[in-house]
Amino acid sequence: MERRAKKMLPAVSPPPAVDSADYSFAIEYHGPPVPYEIPEAIPIEIERIPVAAVAAPSALPDPLSLPVVQPLPSPGPLKKPSKSGRLAADPAGASPTSVIENHAAMDRLDSVEVSGEVGSSGVLESAGFPDRSAELSEGIGSSGAVGFSSELKEGEGFEGFSEGIHSSGVLGFSGEVKEGEGFEGSSEGTGSSGVVGFSSEFKEGEGLEGSPNDMVHGRISTESALSSEFDFRSSASGDDEAFDTQAKKAVLVTFQDSAQSSGSASPAIGLTPRGRMEESGMRVPKGACYRCLKGNRFTEKEACLACDAKYCNGCVLRAMGSMPEGRKCVSCIGSSIMETKREKLGKSSRMLKRLLSSSEVQLVMKAEKDCEANQLRPEDICVNGKKLTQEEMVLLQSCPCPPSKLKPGYYWYDKVSGFWGQQGHKPDKIISPHLNVGGSIMRNASNGNTGILINGREITKVELQMLKWAGVQCAGNPHFWVNADGTYQEEGQKNIKGQIWGKPTMKLLCSVLSLPIPSKPANPSGEELDNMVNRAVPDYLEQKTLQRILLVGYHGSGTSTIFKQAKFLYRSIPFSEDELQDIKLMVQSNIYNYLGILLEGRERFEEESLAEKRKNQQLRSSGTTGNKELDEHDDTTEYSIGPRLKAFSDWLLKVMASGNLEAIFPAATREYAPLVEELWNDAAIQATYRRRRELPLLPSVASYFLERVVDISRVEYEPTDKDILYADGITSSNGLACTDFFSSQLAADGSGNDDADQQDTLLIRYQLIRLHAKGLGENCKWLDMFDDVRLVIFCVALSDYDEYYEDANGVAINKMLESKRFFESVVGHPSFYQMDFLLILNKFDLLEQKIDMTPLTVCEWFDDFDPVVSRHHYSNSRSINNCATMAQHAFHYIAVKFKKLFCSLTGRKLYVTLANGLDSDSVDVALRYAREIIKWEDERLVFSSSESFYSTEPSSYSP
Amino acid sequence: MSVAELKERHIAATATVNALRERLKQRRQALLDTDVAGYARSHGKTAICFGSTDLVCCRTLQGHTGKVYSLDWTLERNRIVSASQDGRLIVWNALTSQKTHAIKLHCAWVMTCAFAPNGQSVACGGLDSACSIFNLNSQVDRDGNIPISRILTGHKGYVSSCQFVPDQETRLITSSGDQTCVLWDVTTGQRISVFGGEFPSGHTTDVLSVSINSSNSNMFVSGSCDATARLWDTRIASRAVRTYHGHEGDVNAVKFFPDGQRFGTGSNDGTCRLFDMRTGHQLQIYSQQHGNNDNDVPIATSIAFSISGRLLFAGYSNGDCYAWDTLVAEVVLNLGSLQNSHEGRISCLGLSADGSALCTGSWDKNLKIWAFGGHRRVI
Repeated sequence: MERRAKKMLPAVSPPPAVDSADYSFAIEYHGPPVPYEIPEAIPIEIERIPVAAVAAPSALPDPLSLPVVQPLPSPGPLKKPSKSGRLAADPAGASPTSVIENHAAMDRLDSVEVSGEVGSSGVLESAGFPDRSAELSEGIGSSGAVGFSSELKEGEGFEGFSEGIHSSGVLGFSGEVKEGEGFEGSSEGTGSSGVVGFSSEFKEGEGLEGSPNDMVHGRISTESALSSEFDFRSSASGDDEAFDTQAKKAVLVTFQDSAQSSGSASPAIGLTPRGRMEESGMRVPKGACYRCLKGNRFTEKEACLACDAKYCNGCVLRAMGSMPEGRKCVSCIGSSIMETKREKLGKSSRMLKRLLSSSEVQLVMKAEKDCEANQLRPEDICVNGKKLTQEEMVLLQSCPCPPSKLKPGYYWYDKVSGFWGQQGHKPDKIISPHLNVGGSIMRNASNGNTGILINGREITKVELQMLKWAGVQCAGNPHFWVNADGTYQEEGQKNIKGQIWGKPTMKLLCSVLSLPIPSKPANPSGEELDNMVNRAVPDYLEQKTLQRILLVGYHGSGTSTIFKQAKFLYRSIPFSEDELQDIKLMVQSNIYNYLGILLEGRERFEEESLAEKRKNQQLRSSGTTGNKELDEHDDTTEYSIGPRLKAFSDWLLKVMASGNLEAIFPAATREYAPLVEELWNDAAIQATYRRRRELPLLPSVASYFLERVVDISRVEYEPTDKDILYADGITSSNGLACTDFFSSQLAADGSGNDDADQQDTLLIRYQLIRLHAKGLGENCKWLDMFDDVRLVIFCVALSDYDEYYEDANGVAINKMLESKRFFESVVGHPSFYQMDFLLILNKFDLLEQKIDMTPLTVCEWFDDFDPVVSRHHYSNSRSINNCATMAQHAFHYIAVKFKKLFCSLTGRKLYVTLANGLDSDSVDVALRYAREIIKWEDERLVFSSSESFYSTEPSSYSP
Repeated sequence: MSVAELKERHIAATATVNALRERLKQRRQALLDTDVAGYARSHGKTAICFGSTDLVCCRTLQGHTGKVYSLDWTLERNRIVSASQDGRLIVWNALTSQKTHAIKLHCAWVMTCAFAPNGQSVACGGLDSACSIFNLNSQVDRDGNIPISRILTGHKGYVSSCQFVPDQETRLITSSGDQTCVLWDVTTGQRISVFGGEFPSGHTTDVLSVSINSSNSNMFVSGSCDATARLWDTRIASRAVRTYHGHEGDVNAVKFFPDGQRFGTGSNDGTCRLFDMRTGHQLQIYSQQHGNNDNDVPIATSIAFSISGRLLFAGYSNGDCYAWDTLVAEVVLNLGSLQNSHEGRISCLGLSADGSALCTGSWDKNLKIWAFGGHRRVI
């Protein structure tokens, strides 16, 4: 401490000179000579003090409002000297709680010797004035605490301050302050507070700090959780009336914060874990609250789970805050709990129940039990000589019969029979067998010396006794093989010799020997893997084991198809009843959309052919006289429809144009199903449908549905799997969709995964999140919600290169370029810094169909595509077989284009794969690849040293 | 009439509209001879003094494990609901800083939450394009979760903001990424009216926030990515009452002024503005001078007025939270520079109903309650 104080010394600069501030910094001391050394003022280093709040002229434009304390005309307006004494003590006693910004500077600044001294002297003083209220002595006590609180870090707000201000009060005037406390010169006392310029301002903060405390007190007394007595402002202090006069005088300075409020607030120091308190020489009176230093060992207290600091009911809520991890001091949040307190986890005390409402207690206890910091650390548990991993720990704790009251230590576990015990001791419990935790059991695990082995472990005498009672032949030190159900056989022999638990008396006998008996598991073992999958993962692990994969792509890139494929691939029930209903509705409304597009096309074609006809007629009739009636009679073309259908068509188009197609659903389906059938069978529509290639708005899947329009428009229509896959979108609301699947499901038939590998990742859950491009908002506004994903799968439809859409201004924009633009904005988004991207080039089948008809160079981004001379092609073609098709060339070319783009944006590598959304195998391959990337990235973090060895592996994986 | 002809006329009409809009803007500019700050200064008003301890962090609500995106106070001022990226809604007792309810959501990507006027239910919405209502009194299920009591579906985009109509328990207004706002009947789950969308006077892009006029709950204002705010009358869904231009970026937050005659906005362009509801004039811009690098301007994410309207609290993406003096347009306090301030972006803030406390939510996973310290009068 001294060193620290010295460090501050050399930098000598004048005290904070407040421009335009017109007040004296010191008032000469006229009191009697002091019997002790007056601590020296240490120059304040002005740069270190964020004076802005105080000295900035903008904050205090009016000199009158400077926090100068009006000199008190001696005990004049005060009725009793004792009050003035309290008032005078205020700067020292009350200030500690103030919350100000410059505490960090101050606590470095304050000469520790000074404050320490003041602290001790303060205690002395309070001893000398027993007539003072307890609050005052507390205030002083807290000022004494200053000495150690300078140890605190910045984060621990109040404490730091407390001492900052206190010492600031002391800086020049420590002597006076003491005098003030000694009732001798209240004016000096207050003077000192005025001198401290900024400190007087801080006191307001303290008022606030105090008030919640008052609130707590008040609330406790009324015992109503929702009591409205709480005031966020600090008006609630007790001595208001007495100091009203002063309060009015002081513009910014409030003295009326009673000593009581300061006293109860100052022990914010109590937040300091005990260890630190002790090492700094500050001792909490035995049995007292660590925060208010009141009470004795009989007062009811709540202890911090991590540092065992104890708080009385008035302080516990202040010291523990909102208890995100249960009963811990605010400063202990995040640290692990004391092992002796593990049993208390989640068991509420009477005190908390009194302080908080039952739902609040419940939530605190839940948090206490479930939060990660309070869990047993897997590395503390050693099974069969091997420390557990996180996965093993979960496996152990979530099995049907987990070991009870697990504590850190060394254990042995017999995987075959499920016997469990402490290293060197007899079995303790029979837990679920076949858990893959820890190493293999050792012969001397239970320190037996009987020479008889069960599953490779030499058993203890007690167990031997048990075996004898069970009627097991134990002559000749046999080696037994005991199964989970209690059947046993001799090693190397096939036949089962008997059942240990066969006799009903065995259970009684075992309890006599204090040996475990098998407990009934909730569900019989056997389908271990299934349990794993369906088991609820504890909350704290959920975050860890959940690997989120974001699937995005521009509109029409096939993300929804890939998502639906993933559901079909990895979920036993791909879609729930509700989802199916939703999809049915979606398909049905889509078909109306398609019909609408057809009808629109029909009108256009009709118009065109009519115009054509007229032209021909005009040509023909140019010589003869035109017959109007004939013209009218001839107004029908092959695209004309009857009046009834015409009315329906007009209505449908009108509804579509106004945009509330949704509004008429699902009622419309019932009503118009027969009409739709009639319409579809109409020759005109069929003729239009034949020219569907000329309807750019009609999606390629439309024909799949339109050909079955009659079925689909029926009420009793049930979408088939194929329908679901072909349908546009996932939900009608276009919202986010996510699906979970386990690594095991993903790897179920994956090749090249050895068992150990699977075991490791058994717990890892993957969540595929599919989001519509529009769902991200303008300029990917909401992308920052996805900064916790592990991988982004970006989907681009290969067939987009010759497709256009019209933007709001009617300008045709190439979809591939739009995809590229979207890709750039996603990749460049700040929340995806250092994110891995997998590009899925989708709709390869469509590319194959159209590449020969429309060259890739239609898209201006691909204008240098020249498969024969292209260098890219050349380098790529070596990796694929010689007879690569044009489509494959195009795929590689586009892949390289995107890789280059990605590299130029981020300087990193882009993983690319190819898929065909409608082909489940290709989607499976793509998603497996995604998993490989995540695993590979994980491994790279572990073996970062061998990075160079791995670095080319995944990118060379290219289907 | 041929398609080409129609297109031509459409283009011409658009051009006309734009020209008229430009004229309107110029005319407004000409009429607007002063702003609030200029007028106040000319009358000798000065900024109120605000010490660093006049507003102090007195509670830190810890418990979320993800970024906090939204918060709302109850009317009886002691409870707060917050929504976070960890997929939970937490109802806090602001007095004890304890959680009273923790609700796990089906869709973790929640953007907004709101308390019902009676304090018995909360609503939330997000990327699932639905608004879910939870009754806080309903029985929890086996896992301790509160079941959804009502789900409002119908939006075609994310639900960016929701607010209960103050004097009608069963009415709720949401704004959405599908360019519309919707007035819902919570009891039936039906849409009462849709604002925007197919009607030409609606927002042209995602709507980000709504604020209902507290003195006349038929009026509400919405802010959108199209850089405008629009005023709506719930009785007339067909058209926006008025459109307020001025911002140069997405309007992230709108909030009615306490007197119900003005409203404030916070935007991606880093400014907050005050608009007059009836004249449509922009009364004041609240912006700090920043370096000329446009990318560095922190965006205003959320705003709230103090009970008197004298202070405008605005949260920014860089973790600052300014208290603006609305009268003279000066920053009187920066909560971001105070002791105990947030470490991340301030994503949401709200004032308790009596104005005595401000709650801020941040990407640092915490919420903080700031209260007027000392004997400062609540303003």
